[in-house]
Amino acid sequence: MPKSNYDYPGYERSGAWYWLKTITLYVAITIGALWTIGPFWWTLTTALSADPGAGIVAIVPETVTFASFSALFDQVPVGRWFFNAFVFAGAVTIFNVTFDSLAGYAFARLDFVGRDRLFLLLIATMMIPGMVTMIPVYIILSELGWINTYRGLIVPFIASPFGIFLLRQHFLGLPEALGEAARLDGCNKFRVFYHIYLPLAKPAVATLVIFTFMFTWNNFEWPLIIATSQDMFTLPVALYTVRGQYVDNWGLVMAAATLIVIPPVIAFLSAQKYFIRGMTLSGFKG
Amino acid sequence: MSRGFHEYKDRIGGALPATPFSAEKHPDNLAGFLFILPNLVVFSAFLFGPVIYAFYLSFTEWSIIAGEATWIGLENYRDLLYPLPWANDWAVLDRPTENLWWYAVINTLTFVIGTVPLGIFGGLTVALVLDKRIRFRKFYRTTFFMPVMLSGAVSAVIWRWILSVDGIVNSLLAPVGLDHAWAGDPATALFAVIMIAVWGGIGFNMIIFLAGLQNIPEELYEAARIDGTSQWQQFRHVTWPNLQNTYFFVIVLAIINSFQVFGIAQAFAEGGPYYSTTVIVVRIYQEAFQNGNLGYASAMAFILFVFVFAFSYYQYRIRGQGEVTY
Repeated sequence: MPKSNYDYPGYERSGAWYWLKTITLYVAITIGALWTIGPFWWTLTTALSADPGAGIVAIVPETVTFASFSALFDQVPVGRWFFNAFVFAGAVTIFNVTFDSLAGYAFARLDFVGRDRLFLLLIATMMIPGMVTMIPVYIILSELGWINTYRGLIVPFIASPFGIFLLRQHFLGLPEALGEAARLDGCNKFRVFYHIYLPLAKPAVATLVIFTFMFTWNNFEWPLIIATSQDMFTLPVALYTVRGQYVDNWGLVMAAATLIVIPPVIAFLSAQKYFIRGMTLSGFKG
Repeated sequence: MSRGFHEYKDRIGGALPATPFSAEKHPDNLAGFLFILPNLVVFSAFLFGPVIYAFYLSFTEWSIIAGEATWIGLENYRDLLYPLPWANDWAVLDRPTENLWWYAVINTLTFVIGTVPLGIFGGLTVALVLDKRIRFRKFYRTTFFMPVMLSGAVSAVIWRWILSVDGIVNSLLAPVGLDHAWAGDPATALFAVIMIAVWGGIGFNMIIFLAGLQNIPEELYEAARIDGTSQWQQFRHVTWPNLQNTYFFVIVLAIINSFQVFGIAQAFAEGGPYYSTTVIVVRIYQEAFQNGNLGYASAMAFILFVFVFAFSYYQYRIRGQGEVTY
């Protein structure tokens, strides 16, 4: 906890100036917080109100109804979209953690030719805008017949330079002596990695899991391009399409938005630390 | 004999340098490459290969319908860049159809100039307030960070409802006569997109600034307090100079990310009305996946790539010098 000025002599917690400053501060930060949280609240209340089209600014809807949700489930394949989003984010996460921990360990602890140059090259790929590779990847995948398939959705994302970077940093921080001791006991290089170092990298792996999952869950561009039929959509693309189809039915659109917003919010509230770490390290937001 | 020579001799153990592939110099050659093999395959197929392929594509005419490339040299780049933006007295500013690429560049610059300072000023202000010992600061931090969790496309759809003709913002503004078709008017749509991006980005900047603030040694403030400095003086002479690395990092990152904005603009108004929210990546998407001109779109993507890469490289170099870690 940082100390404040008021712990020191000469700074008084009283007087008109102090109270004016304090009250202004609280009012301003509360207005800011309402601005950030308001859209979440209105998403929910619109989804739950009976007649959202009438432009009522009800803070709490007069009558709460789940009509929009049941209309949503009747009219569009929401279940399928959730399934797709989980398959996409889940598969990408599993592959990433597997491949990136192997590579992260190799770049940190194994000594092979050209290691540092290769690592620099990988880091440099983080600077490539996504749209540049999407067009050629689209062409390659259409040659393979992977358009509108789970393979096409998942495979381009199964490794990430960010994951390698994150795990390498972590492995570099672990003592080298552990591995040397295990080597003397006759462990091979893979077992040293798998039984000694990987269990010690749990915090970094957790960060990568949560971050990759959310980042993929939120990915909009790629599913928009690769999913050509409704049954292959993931949630952000589905919401975008639902908005186009049900232009005037904001209750239904916001019901869909509510369902999409809930998982990231819950995940964030329960694992805040890991999110923030992932985001500050990568410089990406979800 | 120079000191460098002895160091070198010690390092190689007094022997001649081993060949690059010898097990003596690199004991883990086989294991190392096996460990990174899956990544190498994926990156070659979906990153390195495609970047080179994109460069080639930008010199071809490739339509989704024909499905094959015809070499046309620099024609794509010529069609893209001409007429230059200042031709016919900057006609592109009034008529997007004059040259859509430059119009998209101007929209993107407007977006960058709008979001970056607002987002950074907002993020810094919130971080400064929430770094203090105020009540409920954990709650406030969580609140400001919440929008960062959303996909840009999702927040754009939510805001489209809030800003719609009979949405919440208009019902608040109608009594004072300021209600407006925010998304339907080319004059305001891009500003709405800027506002959504700021809403979604402040929490992110806040977190990085908070990390920066926590890295400032407490002793500096203690010394300042003993001198009886005011809060403003402490900010001006302790906080601000010590945040230099942080705000450099945040600014460059914000610029790089803003240049690549897509989800918010696409989901808010599909690049419209009248091209007013057509930013560079929306333009690339339209040309590639709606018009099917993959070669032409690759030329645009490559210009963006060169620009973003140069910027990122600059940031990487400076960041390396400053040794900022989070």
